[in-house]
Amino acid sequence: MSSLSAVVYREAKIRATNFTFIFWDLFFPLLYMLVFGVGINSALGAPAGLNGVNYNAFFLAGVLAMASFAIASNTSWSFFMDRDNGIFYEMLTYPMSRSEYLLGKVIFNVFIATVQAALTLVVGRFLLGIHVMWEKLPLLLLGMAVGTAGWFFFYAIFALRIKQNDVFNSVTSIFYFVFMFASSMFYPLDHLPAWFRIAALANPITWQIDFLRYTSIGVGNLPTLLLESAAFIIFALLSFAYAVHCLQRQE
Amino acid sequence: MPEHALEVEQLVKIYKKRSEAPVRAIDGMNFTVPRGIIFGLLGPNGAGKSTLLRVLTTLTRPTEGTARILGCDVVKKSVEVRKRISSVIQETAAELFLSVKDNLLTYARFQGLDKSAATARAKRLIDEFQLTAETDRKVQDLSGGFRRRVQVAKVFMVETPILFLDEFSTGMDPILKRQVMSLLRAEVEKGRTIILTTQILSEVEELCDDILIINKGKQIARGDLNALKMLSHSVYEITMAFDRLPESIEAELAALNPIRTTIEANTIDVTLKTEEGRVMEIVTGLSRNRRVLRVEVRGASLEDIFVKLTSPHAKTPEKATA
Repeated sequence: MSSLSAVVYREAKIRATNFTFIFWDLFFPLLYMLVFGVGINSALGAPAGLNGVNYNAFFLAGVLAMASFAIASNTSWSFFMDRDNGIFYEMLTYPMSRSEYLLGKVIFNVFIATVQAALTLVVGRFLLGIHVMWEKLPLLLLGMAVGTAGWFFFYAIFALRIKQNDVFNSVTSIFYFVFMFASSMFYPLDHLPAWFRIAALANPITWQIDFLRYTSIGVGNLPTLLLESAAFIIFALLSFAYAVHCLQRQE
Repeated sequence: MPEHALEVEQLVKIYKKRSEAPVRAIDGMNFTVPRGIIFGLLGPNGAGKSTLLRVLTTLTRPTEGTARILGCDVVKKSVEVRKRISSVIQETAAELFLSVKDNLLTYARFQGLDKSAATARAKRLIDEFQLTAETDRKVQDLSGGFRRRVQVAKVFMVETPILFLDEFSTGMDPILKRQVMSLLRAEVEKGRTIILTTQILSEVEELCDDILIINKGKQIARGDLNALKMLSHSVYEITMAFDRLPESIEAELAALNPIRTTIEANTIDVTLKTEEGRVMEIVTGLSRNRRVLRVEVRGASLEDIFVKLTSPHAKTPEKATA
């Protein structure tokens, strides 16, 4: 337990030293909601396929998932910083297991994701007038926690296996494009071409968004959500197992 | 408490890279290290020192064989091993975004030290490592030498029984280096065991109670300084300064089949293996019809032993072991 708290303490200390870290984790997704979301909402209003809600409400879950995805990506990038200045290898000699090291980072990520979700919900409710289903808040936070953990483990695999920063940045840029656009983040999937729809349905971020959409504004199909949630948990566990394996192979 | 701080048996580490031949960085090492001493690992670049330290600090898994720290296997009980060690790795490793003080406090937190003890120790170490003016500065704003101080200071925050230091003095000025060496000696007197690697032989001569010389992943020689010097029995170092360097001196020195020769300005420095009675003959021969300003004859230094044992024409490890 003390090693987990030490990793969390370290992550918090580092994040607190630099405003840009806080901006990217907490405020960038909010800007998406306030600029992109409001823009599209003004242009399109509540088109068919949004299950009777306006675009701001539809996009709320997308912003939450985007935050989860971005926080995980930013933290996994810190493996490069740590490796460049040598502290990564020194930390691997500290009295903790490799899985404790990863879990400590995840606990901090989940904390940041929770703060970000709270900010997004407050802004969505009080600035954009979105009808948030507060009674489902615990489930929503669970979705943020499991989602952020899953994405962090997934990104950690690449951060640990790839040795060059520029290659990792290219990979994450591609991931951003593919995962976020081939999903239900920005638009409903019903009217998409079949191949696009299949790709989006197989995308773990769609599974997380659908869960967050259901728990934030009550839109979604329960049997599908259960299936998607189970699939995401399997995705997160497999990513965790492989990330620990990669960490054990660091030489 | 186990008798040995370190036990290494049939240890092998092979690095395999695609399209390259496998490299045996550690090639069948066997040794033990008793508790409460400073143990020096000595070897040229690429000898396998850092790889050995990486295995012992659980950073790398061995390909074959076993290594135990205070009885705990580095693979099977890696977390237990990590609880018993502190290490300074070769690279300068520090938390760049954190201040000097926070670097020490964060390290203490990982090692389970309580806050008040950590704060008191951090203050003392900041003074001892002459970091007072930099206490609240982020490490990323400090020079390489200061970063190294922070890195080395960290391991004095805790009292783990084993301390690994890989080239600890890199980037330190001579005064601080001397001070750290005294601190290391004091730690050993308290019962800690220190395993250090270095290429600076004077550090080894001054600090180490026991020395292992390795080359190409193999053990070459082992023992304390006196035992190692015995390996170079009949090795002498002759220094001669002339009023001007004789033209034929290089050929004359080559004919003596030296272990090592240095010629600088008007001074020659030659290390050779010969019988005691021949040393004066050689000096006389080199002085003939020349004006000699200074002559010094010494027994072998650790540097001579090191060069002799790790040169491409060195004796086999078995013959050289003390």
